[in-house]
Amino acid sequence: MPSPSPSTEIRRARPLLGTLVEIRATAAGPRAPLHAAIDAAFAAVEQVHRLMSFHDAGSEVAALNREALHRSLRVDAQTWTVLAAARRLSQLSEGAFDISIGVHLQDWGYLPSGPGPIPSEGNWADIELLDDARVRFHRPLRIDLGGIAKGYAVDCAIAVLREAGIDSALVNAGGDLRVLGPPQQVQLRHPQNPAFSAHALSLCNEALATSANYYARRTSASGEVSPLLDPRSRRPWLGAASVSVRAADCMSADALTKVVLFAAPETAARVLEACDARAYVQNPLEAAA
Amino acid sequence: MSISSRLVYLPVAALSVCAPAQALVYMSVEDAQKLMFGEQALTPLTLALSPEQSAAIEKDAGAKVFAGSLRAWKANDGYFFVDAVIGKHDLITYAVALGTDGKVRQVEVLEYREAYGGDVRNPRWLAQFKGKQHGDELRIGEGIQNVSGATLSCEHVTDGIRRLLATYAIAIAQH
Repeated sequence: MPSPSPSTEIRRARPLLGTLVEIRATAAGPRAPLHAAIDAAFAAVEQVHRLMSFHDAGSEVAALNREALHRSLRVDAQTWTVLAAARRLSQLSEGAFDISIGVHLQDWGYLPSGPGPIPSEGNWADIELLDDARVRFHRPLRIDLGGIAKGYAVDCAIAVLREAGIDSALVNAGGDLRVLGPPQQVQLRHPQNPAFSAHALSLCNEALATSANYYARRTSASGEVSPLLDPRSRRPWLGAASVSVRAADCMSADALTKVVLFAAPETAARVLEACDARAYVQNPLEAAA
Repeated sequence: MSISSRLVYLPVAALSVCAPAQALVYMSVEDAQKLMFGEQALTPLTLALSPEQSAAIEKDAGAKVFAGSLRAWKANDGYFFVDAVIGKHDLITYAVALGTDGKVRQVEVLEYREAYGGDVRNPRWLAQFKGKQHGDELRIGEGIQNVSGATLSCEHVTDGIRRLLATYAIAIAQH
């Protein structure tokens, strides 16, 4: 048998989805096809960004927030996939995961303001998914897919790399990541000193997503806030813990971090079981107690 | 089904000795040029901004000019830029390819340096990168890790690109 040609690793990053998206891929042979595969994977992430950005007035999410209360809108199959997954997780978690929190994130300065205040009593159950990929809101809502679309974009990039014949890759969208191929070590940031890692996990064809506060807490007109919001109380979550979820796909892992943060432990365990996922909680306050 | 099999509480006392992502070099300026413009020869452009131009760029882009960080080159079919931006917790060097129409064709991060806890704004921390050629001497080799953690915003890169486009419109396209 001929000996395998030496493998090349390329690691690139672009600012997308409001964070840094990194793609690291390894394959035998020349660099050009590897760069082309990474270009195609970034293009898949850019497509998710175009469809689902809250910030971009031309996105489907922006169109839904403007018009879906007044008429049903048809969305792209990718947007539909994410909305359907979000709905399933909202149902399973009894509302601990909810994409209808955009209005609060606007009030707190995490998302750009929209055209005037809207009532905020609507929730995920007011988003109706109709036949033919149509969507309708039954109450005034502003949806934000920031808690699930990064994971979905990682999955799309991994699918592109796999189709391009890449054996080993890692896509990391600001901490939400997925490994293609053989095991890779992933560090979990320490929740109190995120410049350091506290634990390492080995992932093989799996995803890991983390939610924590250390980068994003800030003081707004409404007091101290964070982009992590308890959908039921509609209050910002200001805890010191870090929650990481390991699952087969990154979209589930991303959304499940919010389920673990906001659902009762029994509910969270049941949802994790249903998704065949596992959560790792680092809570410095409990450890100190 | 037990809760513990799905919800694992990790001890948090242990601090690893290694910082997971203090400095990452993704590509050199030369690699980025090649990726974006192939074998084209690039001509460096002098960007000596007058105070009026700087003020106009800041007004246009709504972002503060990070003095002296922007470098520009002209290619046959576009422009190549290298710039650096400082965020709350990081310093990012990035390259941008513009078409002759002034539209962004490609953005690639060249280097990412992390300094959680205020070091980023410390002049001494920044000084170590002043005048440094981008390249391998800052590579931290085998220690580079994959890291999962809370999402780090990169609004500052978006602001930087907006500022770069304003600079192009005011200082390059009009000449």
